[in-house]
Amino acid sequence: MADTVNFDLNGHLYTKYMYQNDNTQGCLSISNPFWVDNIQGHNGACTEFELNIKARVSDKVSAGVRLQSRWGAIWQDWWENGDLKPGVQDTSGESLGMNHAEYIKLRGAFVRLAPPIPTVNWVTIGSTDFSMWNEWTIGKARYIDRDNGDGVFVEGTALPNRMLNYTVGAMALPKLWAGPGWQTGLKDNDPLAALYGTDWAFAAKLESRPTRDLRLKLIGTLVKDWEADRNSPFLTGPAMASRGADHSVSLATRFRGINATLDGVYAPATSDWFQVSGLFAASSNYVNPDYATNLVRNGQGFSPVLFKTDCPESGCTPQDLLNGLGNPVSSNDFAGTLLFEFFDPFRSGFSAKVQLFDIGSEYNAIMGARREADVLITDGIIAGGFTRGGQLPTLNIANEFQDWDEPWYESCIGWRGATAILEYVNGPFKGTLEGTYIGYNTNTGVDAQGKPVQRDVFNQYPNFLYTNGFTDTTAYTADADYANVYDRGKDPRSVYAQYQDRHTAIAVLTAQYLIPGLKGTPTLNFKGKYINDYDGRRQDVLTDDYHGYEYLGMASLSLQPTNELKVTGGYEYSYWQESARDGSEQAGFYGSKTVRNTAHLGLTYAFGGALFNYTLEYFNKYLRRDPHAYYDMEWNVWRAKGSFEVGW
Amino acid sequence: MRSPLRRVLLAALLAGCATAAPGPSGAPSATAAATAAPASAPSSSGGIACTANGGFTFPDPAGDDNGPGTYTYPTDAVYKPGSFDITEFQVEPKGDTVEFRVSVNSRIEDPWDSPAWGGNGFSVQMVFIHIDTGHKAGAVFDGLPGTNVRFAEPGWDRAVIISPQGRIRVNSEIDQKCPQWKDRIIVPTVTRASGRTLTAVVNTSDLGGPPQASWGYQVLMQSNEGFPGKTDLLTRKVNEFEGQHRFGGGTDYDNDPHVMDIIVPPGGDPVQKQHEILSKYNKAATTDVKPADLAVLPMVYPCAK
Repeated sequence: MADTVNFDLNGHLYTKYMYQNDNTQGCLSISNPFWVDNIQGHNGACTEFELNIKARVSDKVSAGVRLQSRWGAIWQDWWENGDLKPGVQDTSGESLGMNHAEYIKLRGAFVRLAPPIPTVNWVTIGSTDFSMWNEWTIGKARYIDRDNGDGVFVEGTALPNRMLNYTVGAMALPKLWAGPGWQTGLKDNDPLAALYGTDWAFAAKLESRPTRDLRLKLIGTLVKDWEADRNSPFLTGPAMASRGADHSVSLATRFRGINATLDGVYAPATSDWFQVSGLFAASSNYVNPDYATNLVRNGQGFSPVLFKTDCPESGCTPQDLLNGLGNPVSSNDFAGTLLFEFFDPFRSGFSAKVQLFDIGSEYNAIMGARREADVLITDGIIAGGFTRGGQLPTLNIANEFQDWDEPWYESCIGWRGATAILEYVNGPFKGTLEGTYIGYNTNTGVDAQGKPVQRDVFNQYPNFLYTNGFTDTTAYTADADYANVYDRGKDPRSVYAQYQDRHTAIAVLTAQYLIPGLKGTPTLNFKGKYINDYDGRRQDVLTDDYHGYEYLGMASLSLQPTNELKVTGGYEYSYWQESARDGSEQAGFYGSKTVRNTAHLGLTYAFGGALFNYTLEYFNKYLRRDPHAYYDMEWNVWRAKGSFEVGW
Repeated sequence: MRSPLRRVLLAALLAGCATAAPGPSGAPSATAAATAAPASAPSSSGGIACTANGGFTFPDPAGDDNGPGTYTYPTDAVYKPGSFDITEFQVEPKGDTVEFRVSVNSRIEDPWDSPAWGGNGFSVQMVFIHIDTGHKAGAVFDGLPGTNVRFAEPGWDRAVIISPQGRIRVNSEIDQKCPQWKDRIIVPTVTRASGRTLTAVVNTSDLGGPPQASWGYQVLMQSNEGFPGKTDLLTRKVNEFEGQHRFGGGTDYDNDPHVMDIIVPPGGDPVQKQHEILSKYNKAATTDVKPADLAVLPMVYPCAK
């Protein structure tokens, strides 16, 4: 009995069903197109099992593990056992890779202890989701990776009464995404790098509440990716002492990222209707091109880091190279946000928020939050009606391993502007009105002679190939670039362009209203959105000016006819009119118009601890493009997603 | 302003009722009732503002978000200081509906993205509002599953749950964990967060009628736990030592109240009162915890005359 008191087991079964009127199979809309064993597809039912075991070893020590089956097999897979044999014709029916084998994996393990060390409260060894830092430095891991991060963390109290608390940590650098080329040393991906076991991220946080009304937090992080020094004597010839080959190998920096933030919240107790919060951030990133393949140059502009040199932003001229320029240097910048909040100050139901933001053009957090977080209060450009979105200060956004109904995230590097949101609440009614203006620190401008300045997107600044146009996130079909195959709107990670003279205005109106006096708590939801996005590109050329207008309206009704059942039905209309969206400076630009109608039905049913969700959607989209260069496209898509889960 | 003598006399009379009158089955023991803080003497002072239609605004001191005085927050960054610190409790009748508002000492945030799971725009807070709608027979003296408290006479007959979880989930949990009180527990038609205030809109008919000045209330501040224990109604446990997602400063058993903040009858030092109330539980009862081992919470009558 005593053993079971200290032992906590819980399990969770999750099954997902997907349908679409296409010829794909799988249970994940966007997976990894690079994999031979790609699990992406829209038709199938898949199940996963999770088992958590937590134990209280003593009053000062606890431990836990999470076991979870691998996701990727569909019910029809039957015998699949990870028997992939690339290049071999195999008709056994059990020839897919380990992603279809449903093996149980140790996803996380941790021990947490309270050692008798002065000022130390807790030491954690093992898995965490990195949520102790923030989006601007090292961000919380996305939900599917919540236990993938491992490290050693120490939390302590330096001064009592919340005057000064600290957290320090050393984290194993994820080899698959936290560096140039989205890896930290995979020779199959980058022949110049093969070492990742030596790579770590370090972080420290200080928190203080010097007064009752003020909270301060200081975070500093360092990401270090080392590789074997290729010039190390032990690696370059016989192990002769005379050569200096001493059976040791020195390390060279492949990538170094430094991020720091200072944020504060002032909430005067005497005026509980008011709060102001501010954040100041700095970043410095250095890439060593001797060990990291320049994907700006060799990867069509798809790179999560800049390859900055001491040449101008416009790139190295032949004369610059003759003068000895072209050497790698750090890219450094700052960022800041300031948020004023007024919580119903006049007890009238009206509240307001005003946020100022200024994010430097070269600010970047390679390990910042990649999704499932949002640093700005604006709805942004990427959010739709049924689909939500957020803004993050990193080039390492991860809109992948997700389904068509999940939120999308866009990089806000270079954004400079303000958002004002007015909110009104009165009983069953809530409404909000947002106005946002975005200027861009990434605009290229003109020189002293009025000649447009260009940004070097061929060698230094990654533009992710697609730099303009609204992005249809729900009809996204990822190809090998993780870029939309058919509707080439802006890549959400693209913040740099060769020529940019851009500004954006956004207006959003939302309302929720519980209709009184009717059974089933009927609730109306409405959203209207308008975006005016202008990019003059080259300021000496008028025919390349991009101008995008987005009009969106969404309405839905939800009902709860019983305690267990909730149903929702809705409709969304969106219209995009975009001039000079597609093309190039050399070949010319062409406009497009997009009309999209979406009908959406949802159902949620909970019974006896089981939860069932089902969503059915139909959308018709027509993309009309300039016939001189492109053909029109139409979508008539039916799709459904259902899930069933039980936990115990 | 009522005289101190009159307040003491009223308290003594109420204590006498609790010890002498046979309570409904399940009422706390006479000893527990007598030592629990007496129900509030009627008052229109001390920051309480009552309206003619049964509504009121009831302040709670800041900085008492520590249960019996020893509780600490989980260590994860989402649990911002003040998140579980009640600063004001407000009831506003509006004809066919009644709004319950609970304000805390921190801006209410949504770090777990509640819209993704059908939630109500906030993540970490969970509030239980117990209501005595007029000393009705058959009142309940037990706390809801996971709170580890009991209630003094006259108990409660309605409870409003302010949860970030959607109504479907809350109703499902009620069905599983406390179906015997299903008809007494009200899941609001609207639950929302704005600024530092949680708002719940309930139908007046679900309360059995509009609020009266004679009604009593008790507000329990807890934390939303999306993966609760088998016997917890979406509540977060308190352990001896805090964890990333566990409160600390209590015990590792179910004898300590899993409540961070409550309201107390006006008069005296409210923080000290809360600490006294929540610390009176049987610390030796680590296994086979019985109702009599639990802390007993008083109902508060802000506007009773």
